[in-house]
Amino acid sequence: MWLKVVLLVLFCLMIVGAVHFAEPREPEQRSSSAEDIHSLRLLTWNIGYAELEDDTRAHDKDLPAVAELILRQEPDAVALQELTGNAQLKVLLGLLNGKYRGAVAQQGNGDRFEAVLVKDIEAKFIPIAAGGRYALGASFQPGSDKHEILLLSAHADAFNAAQRRIYTEALIDWAQSRAQSSEVFIAGDFNFELKAANQTNLYTDNVKHDSESYSHILRYFRDLGRTAGDTAINDRRIDYIFGPAKLKQTGRVEVLRDAAVGRMDHWPLLVEVEL
Amino acid sequence: MANNSLRAHVKVNWNMFILLKLELEKLFRAKSFYLSLTVLAAFVALMLWGFYTYAARKTGGKAVEQFKYTYESKQYFNGLTFALYSVLFSFTLLLPIFVSMSAGSQIASEARSGTLRMICTRPISRASLILSKFLVSAFHAGLLLTFFIVLNLVVGLIFVGWGNLELYPGPLNLVDAPGKIMRDEALMRFAYAALSGTWALLVIVSLALLCSVVFDSPAQAVVMTIAVYLALYIVGRVEFFDQLRPYFFTTDMDFWRDVFKPDIPWQSLWHYACVCGAYTIGLLLTTLFIFERKDIVT
Repeated sequence: MWLKVVLLVLFCLMIVGAVHFAEPREPEQRSSSAEDIHSLRLLTWNIGYAELEDDTRAHDKDLPAVAELILRQEPDAVALQELTGNAQLKVLLGLLNGKYRGAVAQQGNGDRFEAVLVKDIEAKFIPIAAGGRYALGASFQPGSDKHEILLLSAHADAFNAAQRRIYTEALIDWAQSRAQSSEVFIAGDFNFELKAANQTNLYTDNVKHDSESYSHILRYFRDLGRTAGDTAINDRRIDYIFGPAKLKQTGRVEVLRDAAVGRMDHWPLLVEVEL
Repeated sequence: MANNSLRAHVKVNWNMFILLKLELEKLFRAKSFYLSLTVLAAFVALMLWGFYTYAARKTGGKAVEQFKYTYESKQYFNGLTFALYSVLFSFTLLLPIFVSMSAGSQIASEARSGTLRMICTRPISRASLILSKFLVSAFHAGLLLTFFIVLNLVVGLIFVGWGNLELYPGPLNLVDAPGKIMRDEALMRFAYAALSGTWALLVIVSLALLCSVVFDSPAQAVVMTIAVYLALYIVGRVEFFDQLRPYFFTTDMDFWRDVFKPDIPWQSLWHYACVCGAYTIGLLLTTLFIFERKDIVT
């Protein structure tokens, strides 16, 4: 009898302990928002569609919604991915009422383009060849700030982790070569699959490649959107904004989850930093 | 009156001690005990081969031609990394099987061989019998895990070499940013893992003991335990059942790995340790209630 009583007491203690040590449940969609500081506001958004659509690139009919969000959030610069080309960019710039300048990256083997939009009319756009693909950089000075900012819009391969790694290495090499003269930010859809819990295998080469790519970036840059949670459907955090490791302060960091329209599978990531 | 009570108490303790001694003797005489140690040693050898060939492929040859940068330097592939991978891989599948085999056969094999009836006619309570069987199975689980960890560390030290424990996001799903645990601290973490891992395995021990009481055949008890464990483990990995995952004990058992995080999340660790404790004791109580009412006819 005494044994059962002891076990029953222990059982109750375990339940009490489990309740006592339970952490407060995190909100379903995490988003971090610190104090509002506005030295530099950056936004990245893959405006393409989910894989199941016939055309997974950005759709013209969604551009007014994209423009409306940009006008509402007023970022200093925007990195976009999966545009169909220059014509679509022109439509978007028109919808932005001339408040932004922009360019699309050079066409690689694919049918979609990265783009950068910048408020600064003096901005210079720089094509970047990286690992068999093309990215686009924009050099600008936000407001009256003397800092020279370089924002890269990147889009790594969606289907091949080794290709993502090669692309990331080349991109970081390029960014590092400019880090002395500018504050370099890299924004875009890197497609890193780092949640091993989502994989059925205990250890895969794909996870390892993405881990290598992400870790390589973190050697030189800071993952500014780390606290903001998932950026795409199916609980994926695949869109990033990386900034200089020595950044003074990070302000608002948010994934704007109500922004997607049509069959978009990504949400925009907004980051504010003090230089 | 007080003397009688004291005498009775001492007698119960002495009976318990004798029972434990007998159960331990049975454990060390069992071939399956040595088989489990042999298989674990063989798994370490397999891991060593896999780790060596993988390290060679990933730090040289084609990998160097294809990629300019890698964290997988020769320093990354050290004895501690080897031990970590080996322990994490085996904990999920290998150890639960041996623990189920040991605990699942405790009562059922006595029933099958006809000795259970005889044991129950002796002046010992059924509760003491179950408790002694549980304690021996728990000791076996702890011994297996400790043996496995120590063997991995020794093999890692001799064949791979020492270094710090470097952790990267993605593989093993331990961290979300690159991190490092210094060598001496990492060794301490392996010691913690022996404790937290054993505590997690106690859920399997209790489940197997329950099956051992319910089924009269040891094979049935072991298979049923492994089936429940694997079913929950696999279902928990399928995204369809994402919503159910938090309710599986296999999910809670995963807490033991947290000791390998650079900053141990103590609050979460204690929470899951208590949840696993509740499962263990709850199952043990159920086993007791069933066994005390069981009509032993074999």
